[in-house]
Amino acid sequence: MDRGRLALSLIALAAALALPFVAGPFWTGLATQMYIFGLLALSVDLLLGHAGLFSLTHASFFAVSAYTVAILQVRYAVPTTLAAPAGILAGTLLAAVFGISVRTRGVYFILITIALGYVVWGVAHRWSSFTGGDNGVTNVPFPAIGGVGITSHTQYYYLVLAVILLCALGYRVLIRSPFGLGLRGIKASETRMQSLGYRTSAHLYAAFVLSGALASLAGVLYVYYNRFVNPVASSFPISVEAALMAIVGGSGTIIGPFLGAGVVLGLRNWVSSFFEMHHAIMGAVFIATVLWAPDGLVGIAARLRARFSRPKEPGP
Amino acid sequence: MNRLKKNVSLHGAVALLAALGMSAVAHAQTGPIKIGVLAPVTGPLATPGKDMVEGWKLFWEQAGHTAGGRKVEYVIADTTCNPDQALTQARRLVHQEKVHFLVGPLCGHEGPAVAQVSKETGVPLVMDAAGADTITKWSRTPSVVRTAVSASQIGHPWGEYMYKELGLRNVTFIGQDYTWGHEVTLGAVRSFTALGGKVAKMIWNPIGTKDYGPTIAGIPEDTDGVSAVVVGADRVRLFEAWFNFGMDRKKKIYGGYWLHQDVLPQMDDRAIGLIGNSLNYAAGLQTPENIAFTTAFAKAYKRLPSWFGESAYTAGLWTKAAIDSINGKVEDRDAFLKAMRTVSVKAPRGPLKLDAYDNPIQNVYVSKIQKIKHPVLGDILTNVPVKTYEGVSQFWTFDPKDFLARGPYKR
Repeated sequence: MDRGRLALSLIALAAALALPFVAGPFWTGLATQMYIFGLLALSVDLLLGHAGLFSLTHASFFAVSAYTVAILQVRYAVPTTLAAPAGILAGTLLAAVFGISVRTRGVYFILITIALGYVVWGVAHRWSSFTGGDNGVTNVPFPAIGGVGITSHTQYYYLVLAVILLCALGYRVLIRSPFGLGLRGIKASETRMQSLGYRTSAHLYAAFVLSGALASLAGVLYVYYNRFVNPVASSFPISVEAALMAIVGGSGTIIGPFLGAGVVLGLRNWVSSFFEMHHAIMGAVFIATVLWAPDGLVGIAARLRARFSRPKEPGP
Repeated sequence: MNRLKKNVSLHGAVALLAALGMSAVAHAQTGPIKIGVLAPVTGPLATPGKDMVEGWKLFWEQAGHTAGGRKVEYVIADTTCNPDQALTQARRLVHQEKVHFLVGPLCGHEGPAVAQVSKETGVPLVMDAAGADTITKWSRTPSVVRTAVSASQIGHPWGEYMYKELGLRNVTFIGQDYTWGHEVTLGAVRSFTALGGKVAKMIWNPIGTKDYGPTIAGIPEDTDGVSAVVVGADRVRLFEAWFNFGMDRKKKIYGGYWLHQDVLPQMDDRAIGLIGNSLNYAAGLQTPENIAFTTAFAKAYKRLPSWFGESAYTAGLWTKAAIDSINGKVEDRDAFLKAMRTVSVKAPRGPLKLDAYDNPIQNVYVSKIQKIKHPVLGDILTNVPVKTYEGVSQFWTFDPKDFLARGPYKR
């Protein structure tokens, strides 16, 4: 990491830490949501940006984990220390099952993930004696470990911030590891990777399960923030939005999905307060992204940087 | 562009000045009362959402934007019929806009989400549309009161009406497959079967069912009547399919919750004579309050209000009565909630009062579609009441304790 980027990261971190003191609870809440959905978008992007698989079922892992935590905490009074890991485990196990979809590629992969996503939505919606149907599960408490618990949304903001920073670091290590490079290789040319002796299907399966685990973690953070969960969390539009967040922000990067989440949530929640046709703006942003900024916000920043910085001397 | 924020309108200005003059001494240093309204301005239920917003606006224009001697302002937030969005918007209204209380939301599944915000912030919530039974039964929140209706509250009288007035004994129930649809339909099934009626068949369709052919083909031969509980665009699809399949010559269909005012403009004279709804409101109700309301609504918006429009108007009426009774001191949340729970209101839909579980005791009207000559709109299809069940409780004739012990209606 060069000095400029390090400085920029530190400034961003300082801004994130100062946010609750500078902005009101609404903006703090919106930023918390941005981190949570950014994490979901990041999990989708592990497949999309690195392995080239377009998954539309990630809301399933997100929701199964959220439901698991909510049901355990509300109905069985299970403490956070057990409920949260159980949520991640449940989502990850589902990902291990849904991972069979990596046997397909391209449009078939997209179709099978849509179908799987609808199965989960259908269960959440229809099995109302267990999931609460449309009403979902409400009154989820704030997380607490032992006697120490979160008591406000500001405290929760810092918890989420800490978790996503750790995730981002872990993700960075992962994508630079031989495993991550292997994924990139598969995206570039799967047949070549196979001829080099890689078991690409096993590689992709592992990536799918890891990505599901990350989405499950986002689900846990989500349910403790919202304090309720209902079938909307598992619905198709959530999966689509997660992918769009990654694309708008910059697919294949770490910061991109979070920026994209900020754009999507900001448009929806802030612009809608003074402009009725906010959906149209969202549409325009997506179209503009696809046409002129296929690398998303991060791509735009990189282009500007390249234009304004002096061409560097080649290194020794 | 519409800033979605309403200040004083000209024709309310005179009333406002008079009111301000009277109370200028008492409330010299208090600012306006701020109300947050959560409605699906866009999204799948944007049409009822529009009715809700306009009913609400109409009331406050008539009231001169004052209550309890203070100016009233409101901020409308778009929930898009999505609980996440409803939650975020409710938090925005509370934290950014600093509203004194919330009104809304409309979509059933947004209800628990917004109730959550009311619970965590203590800001009172006046539910003027969302009908989930559980809000005023199993998961009550001290800061939440409902001014609209519980789903099964309109279902129970419907079951009795089918048995006693229509003389049906073997009914096929078509229900929309989500919480509201379950609760309305199963409420009717319960009171119908309690009298000795038989369920010929239950047919559940998810919201947005494109083809009602299989539903109609599945109606048993020996059934003597069909009860319909359908919402949204499905209402028109069922209507069209019913006539296209020639069912109107074979069987009788009755709407438990079907042909509301907002969908009637999309229908034609075939609808005349059908039982349209068993509901806490019918636009064709001939009371002085409703005639005054529907005339004003028709003049302002060139159509008749659905129950969503009436419900929002009444929420305005109710909250104003409560604010008046505490002299505008909405900052005292407990006093405001107590006032909401104790005042009685003469609404367009009839007399209203909350029961001990924060749900209104109100009339339920079974209505028939008729073409009437409206003084403002001319010939128009509307719901005309044919039977009034007065003072219906959300527990119908059952004991509340037994009802609560029995648990929610589930398919």
